Amino acid sequence: MEDKTFTVSEINKYINRILKGDPNLKNIQIKGEISNYKTFPSGHSYFTLKDETSQIPAVFFKFNKDRFLDFEPENGMKVIIKGKIEVYENDGKYQLYVTKIQKDGIGDLFARFEQLKKDLDKEGLFKDTHKKEIPKYPQRIGVVTAQTGAAIRDIITTIKRRYPICEILVFSTLVQGSQAAPQIVRQIKHAQEFNIDTLIVGRGGGSIEDLWPFNEEIVAREIYACKIPVISAVGHEIDFTIADFVADKRAATPTAAAELAVPSIQEVKNNVDQLSNRINKSIEDKLLENKTKLEYISQKNVLKNPETIYEIKGMRLDSLISRLDFSSKNIISQNRTRLFKLENSIVLKKPEEIIKAKREAYLKNFNKLEVLNPLLTLKRGYTMAKSGDKVISSAKDVKVGDEIDIEFNDGTVNTRVI
Amino acid sequence: MENLSFEESLEKLEEIVNKLENGDVPLDDAIEEFKKAMDLVKICNDKLNDAEESIAKIVKDNGEIVEFNSSQ
Repeated sequence: MEDKTFTVSEINKYINRILKGDPNLKNIQIKGEISNYKTFPSGHSYFTLKDETSQIPAVFFKFNKDRFLDFEPENGMKVIIKGKIEVYENDGKYQLYVTKIQKDGIGDLFARFEQLKKDLDKEGLFKDTHKKEIPKYPQRIGVVTAQTGAAIRDIITTIKRRYPICEILVFSTLVQGSQAAPQIVRQIKHAQEFNIDTLIVGRGGGSIEDLWPFNEEIVAREIYACKIPVISAVGHEIDFTIADFVADKRAATPTAAAELAVPSIQEVKNNVDQLSNRINKSIEDKLLENKTKLEYISQKNVLKNPETIYEIKGMRLDSLISRLDFSSKNIISQNRTRLFKLENSIVLKKPEEIIKAKREAYLKNFNKLEVLNPLLTLKRGYTMAKSGDKVISSAKDVKVGDEIDIEFNDGTVNTRVI
Repeated sequence: MENLSFEESLEKLEEIVNKLENGDVPLDDAIEEFKKAMDLVKICNDKLNDAEESIAKIVKDNGEIVEFNSSQ
């Protein structure tokens, strides 16, 4: 074989046969970082998989991409690739034929999630005080999600069933892959121009990579800045994304988001009916109350027999008159009594008696006087000597020769003292 | 009053009901409020019974709004 001369094709084919014969290389798993990723019009993609010191060319055929790829590979992305290694004989190089690409570094994603959550929390983006209230009776609901898929269907079905008088505006966006976050941000901005009451932002369930756009900082900040109340609806019950923390309300699923966004129309109708009943009852009560009051008042004697008003007034007048009468009569009678007393006084009625009494008194006094009358003494034989008119009561009052009168009971004798 | 939103109408209605139930409202005022309340009930019911079923629409990037069709 030492003298055999190979053509280039032959040697490449030979090497290829050796590689293909190695079972390890037939089904191999390699991890590395994507670089120089390029997709050609054929749909095939070519890139280089590398680590710090080494690299290997890789090809990803459209056929495999369509079947196994659920995200868009990017340069710098850490991946785990399944495939085989063969020689591309035309170029004389061995390369990795990719059948499936998986993102590596899920641990890194968790770390990023935790870090961002911590940072935004510290910044205050999750604060309850910033959360807006979800309108109770929205007229227009906006939904930022993929226009195909279960999420939008669930939301529309639920809203139509619960609250069919509400309008739904869909703002379609990619919900996974590297282009999703900027599109979600753009559609949240766009939705704010349409007079929407509540905005639902979300998607159905998926892997952590699938949900990743809802963990992106730009999405979180856009939800925070949104003027419309936002309900997040990402994935399933157990999935929590940054969007959930920053949204005004978190719904576990898209269906739950729709239930939070609109009331049940039946409940609202019942509520209105109840209010209507209450208002009817209260006005009936009010009327009844007033009617009862009116009846009570109209039962009162005054209204039933208005003349009693006059009767009462009349009675009062009578009473006043009678009092007036009484007191005037009293005055008159008092005066009359006085007059009567005066009229009946003895002075006026029998003046002669007074005269008689006076006379008797006089005579009594007179008799007393008579006892003292000297003339009466003379009668009993005594005489009285007088000088002129003066009674001589002492012998010393006369001298010899004095002319004196001696008065007797029955006359006077002029004599001279000897 | 016609221009009130559904929520405003309902709130106003609740307010009147509470006022009439709790407050010592004179009869004339109560009747006035009652009339208002019945108008509000009608407005609310009209809005709730709006025959038109909600339509889901999709807003295109250029702002054009077209009927939503999930098979799109």
